[in-house]
Amino acid sequence: MSRILLATSSVLVLAFLCLPALIVIPMSFSSASSLEFPPPGFSLRWYESFLGDPRWLLALQNSAVIALLSSTIALLVGSVAAYGLVRGTFRGRPLIEGVFIAPLVVPSVIIAVALYIFFAQIGLLGTMTGLVIGHTVLGVPYVILVMSVAIRSFDHRIEQVALSLGAPTATMFRRVLLPNLLPSVFAAWIFALIASFDEVIVTHFIAGRHDTVPKRMFNELVLQVNPTITAIATLLIALSVVAIGIIVLLLRRGGVRMQSLT
Amino acid sequence: MSSIHLHSVSKHYGAVAAVDDVSLDVAQGEFVTILGPSGSGKTTVLTMIAGLNHPSAGSIHIGGRDVTALPAAQRNIGLVFQSYALFPHMNVFDNVAFPLSVRKVGARETRQRVEEALARVRLDGFERRKPSQLSGGQQQRVALARAIVFKPDILLLDEPLGALDRKLREEVQIELRRLQRSLGITTILVTHDQEEALSLSDRIVVLDHGRVQQIAAPREAYLRPSNRFVADFLGTANFLEGRIGPDRRSILLGGGQAIPCGASTLPEGARVTAILRPERLALEPDGAGGILPATVSEAVYLGQSVRYHVETPTGPMVAVTPGGRGGFAAGAQVSAAWQPDDVWIIPDGGSTPG
Repeated sequence: MSRILLATSSVLVLAFLCLPALIVIPMSFSSASSLEFPPPGFSLRWYESFLGDPRWLLALQNSAVIALLSSTIALLVGSVAAYGLVRGTFRGRPLIEGVFIAPLVVPSVIIAVALYIFFAQIGLLGTMTGLVIGHTVLGVPYVILVMSVAIRSFDHRIEQVALSLGAPTATMFRRVLLPNLLPSVFAAWIFALIASFDEVIVTHFIAGRHDTVPKRMFNELVLQVNPTITAIATLLIALSVVAIGIIVLLLRRGGVRMQSLT
Repeated sequence: MSSIHLHSVSKHYGAVAAVDDVSLDVAQGEFVTILGPSGSGKTTVLTMIAGLNHPSAGSIHIGGRDVTALPAAQRNIGLVFQSYALFPHMNVFDNVAFPLSVRKVGARETRQRVEEALARVRLDGFERRKPSQLSGGQQQRVALARAIVFKPDILLLDEPLGALDRKLREEVQIELRRLQRSLGITTILVTHDQEEALSLSDRIVVLDHGRVQQIAAPREAYLRPSNRFVADFLGTANFLEGRIGPDRRSILLGGGQAIPCGASTLPEGARVTAILRPERLALEPDGAGGILPATVSEAVYLGQSVRYHVETPTGPMVAVTPGGRGGFAAGAQVSAAWQPDDVWIIPDGGSTPG
């Protein structure tokens, strides 16, 4: 009896969480010119209005460039930091770890304001460079979380043996550590990529006249309810599902369970 | 093939001395075991010789060269850990070839030397296997082959047999000793297993709390331990406390009994501990004229031998006698006897003068 109750409530909660997201999928294929449910007929007009609009395409290009650059930089910085945090023995390690993870915990608005003031002073406000740096800061904690788990679960003695067998440190990293951490490296990179791609708050504060996809979606909603955004939302959902699928697959191959990340 | 020389090596972590003023000379081709309980600092000594850890004080020489500040990669040392530490993404061949490839050895010579090393540990034909497809004993032998393939100056083994079951461990012990002799390579093994230390080594270094307790050949360390810790850690020992008697051929125990011992150089009245190994203790039927009267409290049958726990006027003692013949049951009145020369005397609060 209690099992049935539990199952029912679980399904209801899951529906509550997923349905609002999933409802945009049928709506994006709607032929109506306003948001309407159920859709009166099937049409691809909103996909056309997205892909046929140069402003949307520019936003997409910006989003892609910022996401690729910031996630790659975050991967490099975060991986090196994670190695130091896991293997190093130095004073103040918990504090430094806390600083790196902070962007994940501190409300985005606060980071956005901080970056706004800082970038205004050094002249990076409204530049692509500023956006890449801002998104890198947000991506680093994801990389550190994923890579810390991966490095910690790798036997330190294997690294030591590689050194004792005559491998210089750089060779040890390249030929022993990296090949074994590769699945986690990819997973960490995708995490940072997604974090950047759907970031809207910080972007809003520091982007100036540059548009990204989420920023433009937000602005469109403020002005008018345009069903184009349902098409974009559907594309983003598809992208996220594929990305999460890849992450799970990679981490499982790397011997890391999703649960151990949190 | 090199000698190893440790001069007053210490390692401090904050206020704690993990290794405290350790000096050690290992001759070329010698097999030395560092024996101690966990936390004694034995692995720290090994990692400092390997260059994975650096001493707070003192110096380390290998083959006459001061390596104290040299990184691990430049020391030319073969290292084997208990956890095998094979590279999980490489097959057996690539694992063993790794030290050769970082030394830029050519493909043909690499192939030949890897095959030779694998043949030495009897793993020829396993080249294409991944470490995960091998048993624990096989993985250990791959680790050994990888540690010798580049002809290192010395070989360091950190509890290499700890993860193997007893039967396999004895086999690998014999193989290890054979391999070490045939290569003539200077070897330091770290273990907490006293049997392993006694059976494998030319000399044993007993370590406790980061300090050297004794450095001696196995037989010497077992028969003439320099203090109570060594006697207790290397096998089982009966300890009898007392003072040297007036004739200096007996010890007066606390309870007033006098027990015979070999001639001592210590002065009359000196406080000493007499050490008696259980297998040197004979139990005789009561009245047959032993040295101490005893009551058997427990008899443990061990197959090859019987271990008796007995109560004597000076306290509990342990005796091990060959099994098979008769024997005593719990509760039996017996007397304990031994040859005076089987008693080893150490002065209290210090080490034996020699």
